[in-house]
Amino acid sequence: MISKEEIQHLSELARLKLSDDEVLGLQKDISNILGYVGQVSATSATDEAPTPGATRNVMRTDTPRGDDDPLFNKRESLLKALPKREGDYAVVRKIIQKDE
Amino acid sequence: MSKDLAKLSITEATRMLKAKEISAVELTRACAAEIDAKNAEIHAYLEVFDDIDAQAKHTDEARARGEEGSLLGVPLALKDNILVEGRRASAASKILEGYVATYDATVTRKLKNAGAIFLGRTNMDEFAHGSSTENSAFGSTKNPYDLARVPGGSSGGSAAAVAAHMALGALGTDTGGSIREPASFCGLVGLKPTYGAVSRFGLVAMGSSLDQAGPLTHTIEDAELLFNVIRGKDPLDSTTIDQGSTLAKGTKKIGVPRHLLKNGVETDVLKNFDAALEQLKSNGYEIVDIELPSAGLALAIYYVVMPAEVSANLARFDGVRYGLSLVGTSQWEDYAKTRRSGFGAEARRRIMLGTYVLSSGYYDAYYGKAIAARARLTSEVTSVLQKVDAIAVPSAPSPAPKLGENVADPLAMYLLDIFTVTANLTGNPAITVPMGMVTKESVTLPVGIQFTAAHNDEAKLFEIGKVIQQKYTVQ
Repeated sequence: MISKEEIQHLSELARLKLSDDEVLGLQKDISNILGYVGQVSATSATDEAPTPGATRNVMRTDTPRGDDDPLFNKRESLLKALPKREGDYAVVRKIIQKDE
Repeated sequence: MSKDLAKLSITEATRMLKAKEISAVELTRACAAEIDAKNAEIHAYLEVFDDIDAQAKHTDEARARGEEGSLLGVPLALKDNILVEGRRASAASKILEGYVATYDATVTRKLKNAGAIFLGRTNMDEFAHGSSTENSAFGSTKNPYDLARVPGGSSGGSAAAVAAHMALGALGTDTGGSIREPASFCGLVGLKPTYGAVSRFGLVAMGSSLDQAGPLTHTIEDAELLFNVIRGKDPLDSTTIDQGSTLAKGTKKIGVPRHLLKNGVETDVLKNFDAALEQLKSNGYEIVDIELPSAGLALAIYYVVMPAEVSANLARFDGVRYGLSLVGTSQWEDYAKTRRSGFGAEARRRIMLGTYVLSSGYYDAYYGKAIAARARLTSEVTSVLQKVDAIAVPSAPSPAPKLGENVADPLAMYLLDIFTVTANLTGNPAITVPMGMVTKESVTLPVGIQFTAAHNDEAKLFEIGKVIQQKYTVQ
């Protein structure tokens, strides 16, 4: 059974503020699910290095988008979506303190 | 008359539109009439777009000018996790409250270029987390065959909309079975394309190595038509591939992993499954027994890999750039309150599970092992498909469950995907085709047969599907 502390630690990492009831519920659910998926740990398969060429990075050509490109000029609609906006700025909480 | 128009297949509708026997306005009005009559009860659509008549008129005018398009004037529904520029998209979640898509998904753009009409956005399990559409933040969708039952999920809204003739076809997305399972519960054809066949650009990401968009339709021909419109290599999604032309002629052998069907599949489902196999036999196919030793582990692999990817993909929802934005007493709390309130229970469960399997100390035991097992499963499936044209199994172990039946036990819900997750893990294309009805507790419910083919061999799926289709038609 996964511990309450582990659930709380995970919730900090996952940025989820959980109530005590939710912590208890997740303790039960996660433990049950881990009980099932834990079968993978027993498998003899090992994470060998993939064969060369099996996967590769795919990059697209580095060409600038033209003004008429449908993905360009989204600025206003992106700004409109901001929960807190001031002119052309997104308003966020102060992170950097004065003397850092 | 209008009710009959809503029952047209896409293939038949395009023929009639082209021959000017019907107009797109008439066709759209027919679907709208079905929506007016049924959506309040079935709740397939979260939003019916208010400009559908204008969209239809626009396509009729385009046709009058001599313009063409393979879907010109065809009314379709889109799952709520597919972006349409200027329209709301919420992935059925409160955390995307107010979000208006700032761009078209590639599949949206392709459907638009083909002239399709978008009737609205359909209900789904929140962020595609679920197999019943009961995890939607905006209420469940009902199965048109029995309103006390689920339509399946996560593309339950799309399935119900098409099954109830509230659209001629729909797009869904499939990460572990989310097109195929609801399609099978609602008597439809549902295709999960080869991973990389269809662009994921503009889909709300769930599991990026697993997700694919695909069609839910009444007929194989319709699924093929929609697939051909939405597929294609896309520079905006570097996991897309050029599938090349049709593969070599097949062996006409269908492999059945009987060892996987020994337990857990309802008797009537198996009966229909065997009858469907007989249909293949009488059409020149040979049914052979195959072994997939790692397939029994597939669901466990999936429920390690998928939550891991979910935990990464859902990290972006924090109230900073869009959507629900709550304020706490610290920066962490701003995020944590927003996410706790904005995400439903299942989304939170999967994020937590994913965080656990990726965390230091557990990574190797869970995620490391899961991806190794996934690679082994993939090579097993690949080598089986060198000897048979397709692997056949029932699409789900049962027909549609009742609403509320599985909500208390997440694991029971996960088991509905037992036959579908393999194709997402391996990237193979897979299709569900209706295989008749079963009677359960005095209701007749559809069930489906699932075929999985080699990578890029959707053609075999359509070929085999058409043989099954000859035997069963679901209205």
